[in-house]
Amino acid sequence: MAKTRNIMQRKENIFGAVFIAPYVLAFIIFTGIPFICSMLFSFLNITYITRLDNLKFIGFDNFIKMFKSAEVMAALGRTCIYSLVYVPVIMVLGFMLAVLLNKGVYFKNTIRGMVFLPYVSNMVAVAVVFKLLLGQNGPLYTICTMLGVANPPLLLLDTTWALPTVSLIAVWKGIGLNMITYLGALQNVPAELEEAAQIDGANKWQRIRNVVIPMVSPTTFFLIISSIITSLQNFTVIQSLTEGGPGQSTTVMAISIVRTAFAKNQTGYASAQAMVMFVIVMIITIIQWRGQKKWVNY
Amino acid sequence: METKNRVVKIIITVVMIVIGILCIYPFIFMISSSFKVSGDVLMKPFEIIPENPTVKNFIGLFTDNEYYDFTRWYANTIVMTAVALAIKLFLITYTAYGFSKINFKGRDKIFLVLLAALMIPSDIMILPRYIIFKNLKMLNTMWAIVIPSCVDVYFVFLLRQAFISIPESISEAAKIDGCNHFVIYARIITPLAKPSIATMMLFSFVWIWNDYMSPYLYISDMSKQMLSVGIKLVASGQVQDYGAQMAAATLVLFPIIIMFLFSQKYFVEGSTSSGVKG
Repeated sequence: MAKTRNIMQRKENIFGAVFIAPYVLAFIIFTGIPFICSMLFSFLNITYITRLDNLKFIGFDNFIKMFKSAEVMAALGRTCIYSLVYVPVIMVLGFMLAVLLNKGVYFKNTIRGMVFLPYVSNMVAVAVVFKLLLGQNGPLYTICTMLGVANPPLLLLDTTWALPTVSLIAVWKGIGLNMITYLGALQNVPAELEEAAQIDGANKWQRIRNVVIPMVSPTTFFLIISSIITSLQNFTVIQSLTEGGPGQSTTVMAISIVRTAFAKNQTGYASAQAMVMFVIVMIITIIQWRGQKKWVNY
Repeated sequence: METKNRVVKIIITVVMIVIGILCIYPFIFMISSSFKVSGDVLMKPFEIIPENPTVKNFIGLFTDNEYYDFTRWYANTIVMTAVALAIKLFLITYTAYGFSKINFKGRDKIFLVLLAALMIPSDIMILPRYIIFKNLKMLNTMWAIVIPSCVDVYFVFLLRQAFISIPESISEAAKIDGCNHFVIYARIITPLAKPSIATMMLFSFVWIWNDYMSPYLYISDMSKQMLSVGIKLVASGQVQDYGAQMAAATLVLFPIIIMFLFSQKYFVEGSTSSGVKG
């Protein structure tokens, strides 16, 4: 009996290996090794990405150089501003849309589809449209002039407005997913709980505050982390809308990393910048993870 | 009370429809402008149905011109997306089966390592990947976009969950009937998880079709380029031909919008059950 079980187990082991081998191999080559390499690179003096001879271990030099560089620190600051606009706006609006489109509204599936549509669209194609919409003599410009605003700002070409504008366009693009995720959570809130609160005399707002928000807190936790990570990976949004301009006003870390690596050919230095971003994500995730025990309800 | 509720419902509906229309306004503007002559795009921005509709913008994109080869990019993107989806469909279901229905030693430990990789932002891997692609002669080919998109931990996780929720008794019964794991995978488990697989395929289609960063970084030969990079080139031409730009944007979005109209419920159902990454 024990022997047959042994043979069975060995057979399962072989089948298991056969089933996961292709994926695990691809994973090691295209995710595992790159991840380890990116850590190594940040401590090396790599310049041209294609020339890997004559490498030297230079300790924390890349990191020191980075924290001393006003340019990189400014990019880091812009990344923070971008996230500070993106995350709160997408969290609050996403939740509000979900509550309003959950029930008590006609055509709810059609409207949900309309809000979700930007999520599936191509950012670069959409950027071409936004540049026209917000540009010189575009519809927004025309409306502003009709309303009597003299010289309305061209949002994407204005050093003050470009950064919050790209961030809000990213919100427009991503909000559908947050809304849908919240809708899923709202449908799991037991109806009896809300009814009980209603019988106790709680109005709509009190019910949302005291029943709904605590009940969906695990989803809120998940969405905050994923929204922060999304907001840090903003290369496509910015490259397609402003390419980091006007001037340097939207040059965030993601743009800086690609530029340092592929235009300035300082691969090691770029890796160090990427590593710092990774560490920031890790720290935020860990803090959230610890903190969730306090405010996530179950 | 009844009528008051109804009035509230109607007011909310009207407000939400306005918000919905604002959300899709860029698409309305884009499609309407693509049928206008270039001069009218900014002259008559609020004319939704063009007075003199024209398809010249579209024809212009597909006919030869010295600056770019839109037809080529379109074909490249279709081929790349189809190949990526075919590989992904097989690889992810096959792997998820291994991690859910086969009890081999060390299974959960290996899976945990894969899950940890979900936390790594893919941005930090662009440089080492570039070197690996170069050494594997994948640079400047569609494989540099296809392969990383197929090594998607997220959907292995999602399909593993879907497979686990299929009762063990079903595969046990098949085993007693003499089926091995390949047969159970292909004939029994995968067909039972169709809704989850549909969700994976739809999201993957959207992500691969829209991918900009990979072709931007790993493909330098313009004749092998994809639409996402191509459309930026169309829009940055010397002569600002707004009609052509809007037509190009419309064509890039066309397959996705059509697909979305027919499969909305999969997007909604798929992500409500588990939440999808951004």
